[in-house]
Amino acid sequence: MNVTSTLPKRTKENLTPDSPDLDINDLVKSASRAIAPLWPIATFAARNPWMGLERQSFEQVARWLKDTRDVEIYPSFSMIHAAQNRGEIDEAFLKMALQRWLDSQSLDLPREVAERFCRAALKRDDLPSNLLATPGLKCLVEKLSDLEPLDTEKHSLKPLSLCLEKQGGERVAHTLDHHLIKWCKLFLDESQAAWSLPNREEGFYRAWHRLVLYDPALSHEQRQRLKDWPQEANTALKEALFALEIPHSEIQDYLEAHLISLPGWAGMMLWRSQQSTQENSLLTEYLAVRISLEWALLKPYLPLPKQKNEDKVPLVPLIAAWAHWGDLPIQAWSQLSSTEQKARLILAYRFDEMTTRRLWLEAWEQTHADQLSEMIRSKPPVSGEVKPALAQFVFCIDVRSEPFRRQLEKAGPFETYGMAGFFGLPIETSELGSEHTHSSLPVILKPQHRVKESSSAFELKQYEQRRQAAHSLNYTFKTMKQNLLTSLLLPEVSGPWQSLQMLARSFVPRSAGRAFRQLREAWLRKPSTELSLDHMHTSETELPVGFSEEEKVHYVRQALRMMGLTNHFAPLVVICGHGSYSTNNPYASALDCGACGGASGGFNARVLAALANLPKVREALATEGISIPEDTVFVAAEHVTTLDELHWLYVPRLSEPAQEVFDRIQAALPKVSHDANEERLSQLPNFESCPKNPKAEAHRFAEDWSEVRPEWGLANNAEFIIGRRELTKECNLGGRAFLHNYDWQEDQDGTLLANIIAGPATVAQWINLQYYASTVAPHYYGSGNKATQTVTAGLGVMQGNASDLLAGLPWQSVMQSDQEVYHAPLRLLVVIEAPREYVERLVDHDPAFRQKVQNGWIRLANIDPEGYWESWS
Amino acid sequence: MLTSFFISLAVCALSALLLLHPRVPLSFVRIHVGIIALPVLVALLALVTTDANIIFGPWCLDPLAWLMAFLVLTIGLVVQRYSVRYLLGDRSYRKYFALLTLTTGVASVAWLSDDLRWLLVCWGATLLGLTLLIGLNREWQVARTAAALSGRLFALSWLILLLGIVWLTQVTGHWQLSHVLAKDGLAQLGSWERTGVNLLLVLAVVIPAAQWPFQRWLLESVVAPTPVSAVMHAGLVNAGGIMLTRFAPLFNGDLAQIFLLMLASISVLLGTGIILVQVDYKRQLVASTIAQMGFMLIQCALGAYVAAIIHLVLHGLFKAALFLQAGSAVRRYEATSRTSQRSSFLWKIAGTALGFLVGIGFWLTAPGDGYQLISSLILGWSLSFVWTQLIAFGHGRIGRMAGFSLLGGAVIVFSIIYDALTGVLYETVRQGGQPPMPAAILVLFILLSGSALGAWLARNRSSAAFAVIYLWLVRLGDPHPVSIESHPNYLAQYLARGGN
Repeated sequence: MNVTSTLPKRTKENLTPDSPDLDINDLVKSASRAIAPLWPIATFAARNPWMGLERQSFEQVARWLKDTRDVEIYPSFSMIHAAQNRGEIDEAFLKMALQRWLDSQSLDLPREVAERFCRAALKRDDLPSNLLATPGLKCLVEKLSDLEPLDTEKHSLKPLSLCLEKQGGERVAHTLDHHLIKWCKLFLDESQAAWSLPNREEGFYRAWHRLVLYDPALSHEQRQRLKDWPQEANTALKEALFALEIPHSEIQDYLEAHLISLPGWAGMMLWRSQQSTQENSLLTEYLAVRISLEWALLKPYLPLPKQKNEDKVPLVPLIAAWAHWGDLPIQAWSQLSSTEQKARLILAYRFDEMTTRRLWLEAWEQTHADQLSEMIRSKPPVSGEVKPALAQFVFCIDVRSEPFRRQLEKAGPFETYGMAGFFGLPIETSELGSEHTHSSLPVILKPQHRVKESSSAFELKQYEQRRQAAHSLNYTFKTMKQNLLTSLLLPEVSGPWQSLQMLARSFVPRSAGRAFRQLREAWLRKPSTELSLDHMHTSETELPVGFSEEEKVHYVRQALRMMGLTNHFAPLVVICGHGSYSTNNPYASALDCGACGGASGGFNARVLAALANLPKVREALATEGISIPEDTVFVAAEHVTTLDELHWLYVPRLSEPAQEVFDRIQAALPKVSHDANEERLSQLPNFESCPKNPKAEAHRFAEDWSEVRPEWGLANNAEFIIGRRELTKECNLGGRAFLHNYDWQEDQDGTLLANIIAGPATVAQWINLQYYASTVAPHYYGSGNKATQTVTAGLGVMQGNASDLLAGLPWQSVMQSDQEVYHAPLRLLVVIEAPREYVERLVDHDPAFRQKVQNGWIRLANIDPEGYWESWS
Repeated sequence: MLTSFFISLAVCALSALLLLHPRVPLSFVRIHVGIIALPVLVALLALVTTDANIIFGPWCLDPLAWLMAFLVLTIGLVVQRYSVRYLLGDRSYRKYFALLTLTTGVASVAWLSDDLRWLLVCWGATLLGLTLLIGLNREWQVARTAAALSGRLFALSWLILLLGIVWLTQVTGHWQLSHVLAKDGLAQLGSWERTGVNLLLVLAVVIPAAQWPFQRWLLESVVAPTPVSAVMHAGLVNAGGIMLTRFAPLFNGDLAQIFLLMLASISVLLGTGIILVQVDYKRQLVASTIAQMGFMLIQCALGAYVAAIIHLVLHGLFKAALFLQAGSAVRRYEATSRTSQRSSFLWKIAGTALGFLVGIGFWLTAPGDGYQLISSLILGWSLSFVWTQLIAFGHGRIGRMAGFSLLGGAVIVFSIIYDALTGVLYETVRQGGQPPMPAAILVLFILLSGSALGAWLARNRSSAAFAVIYLWLVRLGDPHPVSIESHPNYLAQYLARGGN
């Protein structure tokens, strides 16, 4: 095992130490792998914080983060013990993991000795403090230090400001962060502060450069230092690096260390830089500002004294570990040969806390996989004769669909399917009367069509006026607040209304929330709308509106094949997008469909259902062997995950059989919702474990403005099952599984599987790692306690007075309470139902996926047609 | 009435202490919220039935006292109801309820006191409770820092108040405020003693009101959980208005009024300036509180006590509601910027004329009154401003109709509430004691030139003056570096330690 905490680099040093045309932009680009782009919170879509680091193994990244930022990304022991107590970790797997680890080591020690030590050390109880203070210890350390040094770990580079702070000097790194937070939020502001940062149109660096000379937060000397600082970001960055004497070979490391100081703000800069060509050097500008300021703050302390002993491994804890776990008293060391002394030190050094945490996590994950395979194998065989389905429902792969699908299947002869909730439609949506467009597809893809809602001109005009009127109320409130004189009257004018609202929301949350929403809807009276499905000519720069005839056929065919519904159509096919309802929740969009860019998937469902009903499309499909009966009607609905209800979005004129089925579904739905809610609500923290009226309680969760957990979202997700529904039907997967339909027999060349892995599985992996990261490092990758957040710049949240722009899920979204974890931090297990060769072919052909599996970013298993389970990771 | 009020408060306190006990099930919190509604109802009943100033032992039971008790307890009730879900799962869950109940309880008693010793004790306890609430998350270094800062300033404010009150009672020989303020009580004060006591009083109230130069504690206590901020902004910062109203006979016509006027005017400008540049939602709310409290103190300094009380009540409710809704500050899609700025010139002219006429008309109803001048300016200005926003820029007929009805509705509701509150307070709150007219004109001048400066700066954004003022406002509104942490590291410790 390679114990090193610097990240091996992809491209390194084609530049000579004094290369005059050092391309700083390239270095910044390479360094940007350390962070992930962060998009505004209003479209919170899952984001894998380590997306640029998958070339490294999970453990390498973990060691690097621990060393540079002191961030742990393996689960803590308290989490592990809690899981063990719940029976989620099987000791047998832990032993196996330990054996594997020992096998991978070459030690000059008898195996039993090593094993005994490691087994005891796996417990990781705290070292008794009196042990560390034993008198003989110091003496022994001195003696052992004479041995040839251990294979020392190369320490990763830290920003110089942080080094100074660590040496007990001024809190320069802290002050630097403070300045950067200020400049970033002012520059990036989208909430339209009345006075925006002057000159921000000219870019981040220029704006800063002009203003910093007046900044009263810097001392006079500090401002003087920046007086003749270069005008251009690139030059400034180079000059600052030069002034700080960073060797060329270490520049990328140095930039990375700076980027992960405030990964949220840097990530937002990175995201912005990808949005338009004008701002494409924003990250360089950010680093230029950051490192120039670092230099200005550090100047009086330069050059920093070199730190001694940094590369030397401290021996005290190693000896103490042997005394505590290895039954080797301190006096006994002198009787050992020097080879053995060294071997023991090496073992204690390698089998450190992080290694033990890793083994525990692996055992936890294996136990999970084992329990899952057991459940799938031991389920009762599906009864021989299958009744033809009356209706087919297509749901998003989202883990919240699984419990609902299970209840729906119980309620009648209904079949359910799973596919990514954007239904394969790469579209940008635009709601009636809105200029805003939303990219309703996974963030890894780019939209190719625009679909607009339209309505008759007269109705549209009336609607727009009503909308404007509603909006101008908010707008007036905001501008009054920003005006010296009118703001003083604001409490008098709006106070009575606000108080009324406050009292209503406090004491009758459910009815008040509903009343306010209905009032708004009654005022707006949104007219019924059509979708612009037909191709319309637009200017070259814009996306085409609608689809051409071939494209319509293409997308419907693709969707039907992906969901595996190409024959035996029932009279009614329901395409279900999903969305959530919550009140006063900055993370509302985190509960929406991740495959639709953090919005409800209802729009996409409507588009697909409407396309599939077009006679021309059906004719074309029939020629290719997908014949949809005339009586079959596609309708669209929205699965509201907070309420577990199905709301109809698009129901065209139904054929007679379809109408019959529709009525039957309507009759069955209340019971489905009731049961699904009952199951789901028992998981949410509440005063009574099973509420008397689940429906009312679910509505309360959605409408209550003081609710911090309107639903659990995707918490506890753990597996992604690619296979026929029969495989998992009647298994209670507990809302932990992403389910994608797949029939290997229909996929001879493996393209469908490759597409599922490249698209939906990647989205699921991102979601999974976001939850994972927010659980294991809630302060760094999560976004902290909701109660102490403040929304900043209209972009995201900060904690307390000011902080990094926090990127992940809030503390409450992964924790049951301050003491108890809810989300089990396991890396996603992808289970493919297909013969071994299919998986082999997939892994061979998809290097990116292979890398994820090999480096521990995802787990892989397959179930072959005989039902044999094989693990690939 | 008084007895039932105290009994209900005692029941609340008991229930709060009961909740602290780990053996009491958590669901008791819902019963607790029912219990703390009792004193609110009693206070409301008392407010409706009392119409005379009754001094009963150490208590002064006039409508003002009951109104304040009602306000503070209502805010406490709403905030605790909110916290039932909002703080669920928090380590200090039980402690929050206990502290919130006790703090709002003693605050309500403070405003019922006629005996100044009671006032000192209750007010001191309120400040202490609030400090504890800010720092309740002891694991979080930033919260500790903010609590320490607030605690120091509160202690200073309380000691100044203590000094002022002791001085006052030593000279007049009474602890009862009603006796102190009686004609013969006040007559014993020499003019410099009076100014001295007043200056101490002003200092004691500007600190909790977060006025310049003491605004920092409020800006840095944004670290407190949202419900605590709501209580703080709704029920504590406005104490100055009540205190000055109580001490009005002492305060009126004194030099200290001018001193207060200066501090408060600067704070109004400062608060508004911070709102202009600040981009954090909660921090904008704090800045707005600073400005609003400045305005309340201006009203007090100009002798318009009824207006000040109405302002502080409505502001309290308004700010509590805004804090509790802080999660809604993320707009899904910031609706399209207002495209149709081409509004008819006529509509705009009409708005300006209307504002001007209403302002003048309002002023003429009481031209000798200093505060009337200020309020006519604000009223006229706001009317024309709102007219422009809602009606002149209104979108089509529907937009304008909606604008008209909103404007009309707001005016009607406001006048109803204003009349109701004035009716309640008129007997109790002594108006008058006009400061010299130049003082009012000075305020008018400050407000107008502040507006003009703002408008000028907004037009000259590339000037160095703009840069300097902009950055100073950012600096004044931003937290001090010691009160921030780039990541909330205490959560990692929570995880490491885990359950129990």
